[in-house]
Amino acid sequence: MNSLLWILDITLCGSLIWLACQTLATADLFKAIVLFIMLGLVMALAWARLDAPDIALAEAAIGAGLTGALLLSTLAAITKPPAPRTPSEKTEVDA
Amino acid sequence: MTIATLYAVCGVMLFGIGFYGVVICRHLLRKVISLNLMGSGTFLVLVALAHRTPDGQPDSVPHAMVLTGLVVSVSATALALASLRRFHRETQRTELSLHAERRGTDDA
Repeated sequence: MNSLLWILDITLCGSLIWLACQTLATADLFKAIVLFIMLGLVMALAWARLDAPDIALAEAAIGAGLTGALLLSTLAAITKPPAPRTPSEKTEVDA
Repeated sequence: MTIATLYAVCGVMLFGIGFYGVVICRHLLRKVISLNLMGSGTFLVLVALAHRTPDGQPDSVPHAMVLTGLVVSVSATALALASLRRFHRETQRTELSLHAERRGTDDA
């Protein structure tokens, strides 16, 4: 039983490190964000192992869910080509 | 080696990976993700060190600090992403001018 828990802990730590490396190594930004969300979920498991279930819940909801949604929304806003300004709007801004 | 040591070492490695990303990566969204990695590593070290009490019951003060830090890090991430959106809208770039290729026109 104890060795099984050790295997679980080592697997969790190894997957955390691997996910962090892959997050920075992937060329695709969308894939990097999805890997970061996965890292947050694995981190929630690690905190449940460290006797901190309240932090695990907060991490799963805020760290993985809310941060991932913010990152994905920003990625969509960045990659979308900006709408060209109409002449009337442009003069309004310049004035 | 105890569980607390294992997770603390893992947290330090996460912090190191995040620091590498902040320094090396050029895209600003990747820098924000790396900053979040650094924060996660710090929280992991704190919670792992809170686990090292003699009676086996984890210390609750670092837990409260980490819980506060999670919320603060999310709001800081939101502020950074809002700044990134504004920067992209004004300059059409996603890298800082330190990394941008030197072009003839500086108004881009």
